[in-house]
Amino acid sequence: MADALVIRDLHVQFHTRRGVYKALNGVNLRLRRGEVLGIAGESGCGKTTMGLAVMALLPRNASFPQGQIIFDNKDLMNLPREYWERVGDRFNPKQNERILRRVSKAMGRIRGVRISMVFQEPMTSLNPVLSVGFQIAEAIYVHDPASLAHRVLARTRATASQMPELLAILGTARDDEAAVKEFAAKHDLLGIEDQVLSVWRRDDVHISRKEKAIRLLAGQQIRPVERNIVETVARAGSIPPRFSRVPVLSRVVRRVLLKEGYRKARELLTSLGIPHAERVLKMYPHELSGGMRQRVVIAIALVNNPEVIIMDEPTSAVDVTVQAQILELVKRIRTSVSAAFLVISHDLAVLAEVSDRIAIMYAGRIVEVAPTDKILRNPLHPYTQLLISAIPTLEGKPVEGIKGEVPDMRALPAGCAFHPRCPFAFEKCLEIIPIDLPHDRDQLVACWLYEAK
Amino acid sequence: METIKEEKGRFDEWKLSARVFFANRTAVAGLVIFLLFVGDAIIVEVAPGLVGVQYPDSVVPPLFSITHPECVNQAPEPPSFAHPFGTTEYGVPGEGCLDVLQLVMKAIRIDLAISLFVVLVGAAVGTVIGVVSAYIGRLLDEAMMRITDVFFSVPFLILALALSFVLGRTVLNMAWALIIIWWPLYARYGRSLTLSTKEATYIEAAKAAGSGRLKIMFKHIFPNVVPPVLVQISLDVGTVVGIFATLAFIGVIPNALVPELGALANIGLNLAPLGYWWTVIVPGGTITLFSLAVNLMGDGLRDVIDPRRRS
Amino acid sequence: MKLWVYVLRRLILLVPTLIGLTLLVFALEHAGGPSVFLALYINPHLTGSARQQLVDQLTARFHLNDPIYVQYFYWLGAILQGDWGTSAQNGQAVTTNFVWFMPNTIMLTVVASLLTWVISIPIGVYSATRRDSVLDQGVRVATFTLYSMPIFLIGFALFLTFGTSWHLLPAQGNIDDNLLPTLSSKSWFDSNAVSYPTHIYLIDALLHGDVPIAWNAFLHVILPAVALTLALLAGIIRILRVSMLEVLDQDYIRLARAKGVPERTVNNFHAKKNALLPTVTTFGYLVSGLFGGAVVIEEIFGFKGIGWWTTMAFLNSDIAVVMGSTLVFGIVLVLTTLILDILYGFLDPRIRYE
Repeated sequence: MADALVIRDLHVQFHTRRGVYKALNGVNLRLRRGEVLGIAGESGCGKTTMGLAVMALLPRNASFPQGQIIFDNKDLMNLPREYWERVGDRFNPKQNERILRRVSKAMGRIRGVRISMVFQEPMTSLNPVLSVGFQIAEAIYVHDPASLAHRVLARTRATASQMPELLAILGTARDDEAAVKEFAAKHDLLGIEDQVLSVWRRDDVHISRKEKAIRLLAGQQIRPVERNIVETVARAGSIPPRFSRVPVLSRVVRRVLLKEGYRKARELLTSLGIPHAERVLKMYPHELSGGMRQRVVIAIALVNNPEVIIMDEPTSAVDVTVQAQILELVKRIRTSVSAAFLVISHDLAVLAEVSDRIAIMYAGRIVEVAPTDKILRNPLHPYTQLLISAIPTLEGKPVEGIKGEVPDMRALPAGCAFHPRCPFAFEKCLEIIPIDLPHDRDQLVACWLYEAK
Repeated sequence: METIKEEKGRFDEWKLSARVFFANRTAVAGLVIFLLFVGDAIIVEVAPGLVGVQYPDSVVPPLFSITHPECVNQAPEPPSFAHPFGTTEYGVPGEGCLDVLQLVMKAIRIDLAISLFVVLVGAAVGTVIGVVSAYIGRLLDEAMMRITDVFFSVPFLILALALSFVLGRTVLNMAWALIIIWWPLYARYGRSLTLSTKEATYIEAAKAAGSGRLKIMFKHIFPNVVPPVLVQISLDVGTVVGIFATLAFIGVIPNALVPELGALANIGLNLAPLGYWWTVIVPGGTITLFSLAVNLMGDGLRDVIDPRRRS
Repeated sequence: MKLWVYVLRRLILLVPTLIGLTLLVFALEHAGGPSVFLALYINPHLTGSARQQLVDQLTARFHLNDPIYVQYFYWLGAILQGDWGTSAQNGQAVTTNFVWFMPNTIMLTVVASLLTWVISIPIGVYSATRRDSVLDQGVRVATFTLYSMPIFLIGFALFLTFGTSWHLLPAQGNIDDNLLPTLSSKSWFDSNAVSYPTHIYLIDALLHGDVPIAWNAFLHVILPAVALTLALLAGIIRILRVSMLEVLDQDYIRLARAKGVPERTVNNFHAKKNALLPTVTTFGYLVSGLFGGAVVIEEIFGFKGIGWWTTMAFLNSDIAVVMGSTLVFGIVLVLTTLILDILYGFLDPRIRYE
């Protein structure tokens, strides 16, 4: 499949004391592999809800009357939708909570490892009583402890003589990743790849230091207890029950593996541009600045090489200078990582800088999707046009706000949700909800203006 | 156009508050029970004869052993139709046939009155001190904090004992003792509320406009301080009844002829182990019921005030 | 390490509080006039010229004819030397009495606290994570009721059911009355029914290998400890549940879930660690009630700790012990609060590393 993620006709509602909020009303979206898709819209249009729905992180008063979220050929919305079909209007948060818990359990193998999310507020996203290094290391430990075990083993197995050979290969190879992988496979050093590449790809140190660091990777001493643990986990591919059930032993295993996790976290943080990563790892979130915290959260999202990364307003809670840094970071990451990105922001300018395609959301529906330059040069949907004209530019063009307010999500207008604010609305807009109409080659607009005559 | 919308908005807020409160069934139950207690207090105070209560101010009617000689040394009787909560026996030689239900009804109003007195006076004094010292700040505030620290350094029951010892072991003096123990709580509470309100920018705005200091305080700080303090008062009424009764149970009031729930339990202290459990359990249970009702109501009120819990 | 600064600051704050405490006790002791104060040191049975002699001695020693602020310093001097007066009940020095009885109360409160924490944490965490489940509702009802019950009712109910009606557990004293005479023959037991070295029957018996006595003493601890535990539990479970619910709503918990951390770990590790912080703070506030509760419980069960002794003193107008109790409980409470504050500083990294 060329698509990493498909959302089809997704409806999400929140049941509160003040009424039922229809947050998502038929969202249709295709996220292609490896692309960066920006989601733009005003606050309250449902962008964050959509991201949370994909991760199945919605609160217990959320119901899913309709729609599918298709990942890896499976519909993630199966259980909640079935519940709704059974229960209908007699929605009960307690029952729903049980359903959501089951969904959460099922999502355990997907969240954090195949789809991960970066939240809006870096200031509150990290657990204040756990060190930053732990929070990153835990992400690997929970999903793939074997990879940590392999890393340790690889270092103990690698001999001092093999490293110069590797360095020679790296010096001449075009695709360094493939070269290292080949080398590791040949010498049974599975687990050494990340460690070597993370040093090799650094652009802030001299090559002689890199060579020294890579040479030092070989021949690590290891105590017999640790060796036993690491070998067992590596062979088993996960932590076997006889380790995890026994109380004291499980702690030792955890400590050993987390130590390696810290190492990997250090590599990751360094690659994300954090200096003195070893010191930062031991710090607690409150000791770090907003920009650093955001990098830590991004590190957590990246650490398991997911296929989809959702970034919810990555720049909204930080100041302008940090914003620029984070955008640079995102652009840099996407070249080295094969994941597809879903970047959510109310700031079109931010999205314009990083996205391949941009989707515009309004009142819980996607109203337009197109490649970035097309949508900026030739916006089709009236809402998009108004959004773009609202961006302050260097030319000092007068900035126009959009008249009217976001509709009350409890009582959406009939037909197109935008028609009360649309300067081009006509009768059809008031009655029938627009469908996604293709335009040109790769644009979709949900607006009756573009209905082929 | 604007003001009409605003007015409607405020009325809606009250309606929403009422809706939030009454949606909470347990809070409503608490309110009902609380009102029952209050009703009993009023009726016994105003028209005791209506519910068959005689001599509302004393556990044992005067000259009881003479008017009812058959009740002398009469052992307590278990709950029955004639005496729904049983009877109890006072003193040595024991004057029995004392209907526990009647005693409890008499005692409720005394406890309620004492508790209201203690909490209202303590809250009034404490809140004012707290607000003033927090608003003026600096040395006065530091002094207030140290003084309240001292009061918090002794466990309150022990301090109550010591104060009762010094002031004298009567009901009124015990009430004063509790007031002395209670005001620091409100001073601290009022202080923290004032400090958080002080941060609010509109205080600065008022200062910029040139209003006098006192005016600022009354207009801006009090509306933010009074509602939470009122909720706390409503909760504390229940707590103080419990504390007062516990002190009376220990025996702080000697020869208590005053009908008070703790004193009633104290009367039963020597009787209950002999098998007459209702002499202690009933007054204790009444206190529990009252506390329960007050706490439920308080939870409901907190739901109303805390903006997050409203949705 | 900012923790040391935090500890130092707390220690410095200790000084005015302790001084204020002594002032408070001093004020209480002198509130009734010099004659009341003298009663602290004079046996009420003493009369005539012997008494007058003693009065003159004390007046000179405490400078009772000098202005009040001078009197304070002499009084404070006596306090610091350990002379807090003489108990009218047994003629012993107040401090000696406290040394005899305090360990029992400390044991009782410590046992109750430990039991409370051991029981509350799993229940509170589970109740919050299975919100509105049958167990959660049951826990809420139970803790709510316990919280509303006055401490004497909890103690008394236990006393009646297990002690008297069902005769399951002993409900009076520290040891069976019929065992007391046998104790006088033991080497670790003195004529005042005080055991050595810790003055706690249970521990001293264990230290001397006397298992039957130890067992008997242990049985006597159960009911009072359970009563105190029940009273504490209610408060702790309530606050733990509420703070867990708050924590579970936080962004960082959502992030932990988004990381794929299993729900059990999210609840028992990520959430619990944060929820325990306000719970420890609340426990600090509850300790004052715990000591007061110990007084009541000891009286109900006749458990000879300092609370029981204070109640007896109060009912017998033994002013020396009542005032001394106020002072000693104050000191203990202040120290306990300090320890808890330091513990909290240790637990919360935001205070440890600022």
